[in-house]
This record gives sequence, structure tokens and C-alpha cells, in this order.
Amino acid sequence: MLLAFFLPPLLILAIEMTLSGDFKDIDSGVSFTRFANATLTAYTLCSLFLLGNLFFYGESRNRPLAPLVGMVVATALGVLATVLFIGQGSMLLENNGSVRAQAIYNIVHMFVSSGAILMAVSVGVGVTFSAITSQKPRSNFVLEEE
Amino acid sequence: MDEMLQAFLLFWIPVSMVPLGLWHSQSSAASFSSLRGRSLAFFGIILICLSPWTVPSSPSSAAGHLLGAIIGPCTMLIFGIYLISFSGNVPVGKLPRSDRRIGVLMAIVGFVWLAGMHWWILTPQLSLNVVNPYWYVFWPTFLLLISCLASCSAVTLLMIGDQRKSESNTMFIVSGLSFSLLLLGLYIDGPLVSGEEFRQHLWLAVADLAGIAVGSLLSILIFALVIYGYERNLAEPQSISPPTDSELKQVSKLIATHIGGEQE
Repeated sequence: MLLAFFLPPLLILAIEMTLSGDFKDIDSGVSFTRFANATLTAYTLCSLFLLGNLFFYGESRNRPLAPLVGMVVATALGVLATVLFIGQGSMLLENNGSVRAQAIYNIVHMFVSSGAILMAVSVGVGVTFSAITSQKPRSNFVLEEE
Repeated sequence: MDEMLQAFLLFWIPVSMVPLGLWHSQSSAASFSSLRGRSLAFFGIILICLSPWTVPSSPSSAAGHLLGAIIGPCTMLIFGIYLISFSGNVPVGKLPRSDRRIGVLMAIVGFVWLAGMHWWILTPQLSLNVVNPYWYVFWPTFLLLISCLASCSAVTLLMIGDQRKSESNTMFIVSGLSFSLLLLGLYIDGPLVSGEEFRQHLWLAVADLAGIAVGSLLSILIFALVIYGYERNLAEPQSISPPTDSELKQVSKLIATHIGGEQE
């Protein structure tokens, strides 16, 4: 199942290698920059979302402070790491002049990517569900011959 | 007004209104409160879509422009799939059979509309012949992930499902269709998007998806560790004394009256 998930990009890679022979249009440095920015932004935003969940988790347990503080520290680490790595120089800057511009770009980029992911998951799950419900109803019981 | 303040008021506050409104509508049981939350989210989406006109100086407003461009086909696609699904054999919430035809039509028009944004004149443009940069993010990510998910779903239906071959074939067709669109994008230029540009952005989409997966998993792992650490350090709950003989006798008497059945 995991192989089936990764099959389309692997097939594209194989076709590209067969037809082009090299990856002249692919800049690995730019791809790495995008990967690093996506990792840092996803980590920070996801931690922020989980921090909100933790707040409600604490409701049933007299709202303990320790896990909340732990998660705030984890989120703050994400923000600090993002600012620190982007501030290192051109390594994580994608056509943006400053740390703030890159950080805002990362967040907006993440919204667009998340929208595409949400749409793709909705379509994937929806089509699977509609394929299943399109079939004739099945009987769960096998009639025994007397 | 200062550009930063303008972007904050007319782009970022509407952006925050969407999750806040959704959260409010989901968390409150009262219908008025739920309606208020949904209205807040809807108003936020409208303001985001209007951001290219309200805050044209902010580069982030290009995301609002993209949202305005794709909200129509995406709604048609999702609503079409919903109509197809619930006009089939579902035990609850079944829609009339005639809705199926409308659903198929809506899904096809929605998908063709999206495809027309790459290969026809419908490409989202910020100004004449300037393609919205976020379109290059949305389209390859969407196509690639649909292809991957449909392929995974097809194999899952075959492996786990019981006599689900025809459903699996449908999913293989969906995966093949989106894969063909990816290949077409790589080798056939659109009016505004060339194959080379699409190729670069396809691999950036792969890097993006990998980064999102790694970042999210890392954050979930840390969340689990924080919870585990907290739960492990909790004091042992106070033990109660074991039941006495009379209590045990009473319990066994109660159990004896409730187990067993009539002899056939």
C-alpha cells in the first residue's frame, strides 16, 4: 500500500530519467530550501494547533500547567529555529529579502499547500466512497440450502 | 495607512476569522452561535478573496486571488462528489437518484475548469500574462497527491476489501487520469505555463509535501512525548481496600441471577 502511494512520483522520475537522461531543470538547492522551509513551518503551525488541543485536553484534568508549558516551549523552539535558520543568509531565503518576508511567505505558502492537500484528500476519499456506494447493495447473509 | 497595518487589518485578520469561525460553529451547540461562527468564517473568506483589491501592495494577497479563482471549480467538484456519493446505496441521508446526474455533471465541469486553468485561457493571472505564483504551488500538489491517494486507495480496496475489484478499477482510472495530466503538464506547454516551469514546480511540490509530512510528524511526536512525560510523572492513584467476604458473596449472588438463560 505504501509502495502504491509512492508509485506515481517514482514513475514520473523513471519516465524523466528515460526521456531526458538528466535533471537539468531541477535545482536540488532550491528543492532543499523548499523542503527545509516546509518542515520548519509545518512543525511550528502543527505545534500551535496541538497546543490549542492540549488546552482542551487539560479541561478534564484540572488544567495542568506542565504539558502546556512543555508544548509552548516546543512551539517557541520551532519559531526560534525558523528565525535562526532563515537569518543565516541565503540558505533558506527564497526570492525574499528579509527574515520577516520569508516567514510570512512560508505561512501563506503553507496555507496554499494545505488547501491543495485538503482538496486532494477530499477528492480521493470522496471518489472512493462514491465508487463503493455506486455498487448494488450486497446481502451479508448466505442462504443455506435445505 | 501603513502597508503593514493595511495587510494586517485586511488580510491577516480575515485569515484568522476563518478558523475562529469554524471552531466557534463546531464548539457551540446553540444554533444561533453556530450560525454566527459560520457567518464569521464566510465573511473571512469573502474578505480574503477581496484582498487583491483591498491590499494590492501585499504579496500575500496573491493567495486571496488564487482562492477567488479556484473556489468555484473546487466547490463544484466537492459538491458533485457529495451528490454522487449520497445518491448511491447509503443507509442514511440518501438523496434522489436524479441528483447523481447533476453530481456527475458538476464534478466533470469542476475538474475541466481546473484543467482549463493550466491548458486554456482560465489561468489565474495577477496582471496580463503574469501567472499567480501560488497557482504553481496548488496545481502540481493537488494532481500529484490525488494520483498517490487514488493509487493507494485502489490497492487498499484490492488487498483489504472483499470483492471490491470494480471499485478498485475506478480508483486506478482516477489515479491514471491525474497521472496523465501530470505527464501532459511536463511535456505539453499551456498558453501561459510552460512544461519546464511545471517540471520545476512539480519537484518543489514533492519537496513541499515531504517537508510538511516530516514537520507535522515531528510535532505530533513531540506532542506525544509531552503527554507521555506528564502522565508518567503523575502520582499513583489511591488504592482502595479489597472487597470483604460479605461483599463478594453479594456480588456472586447478583451475577448468578443475571447469567445463564432458558434451557432449550
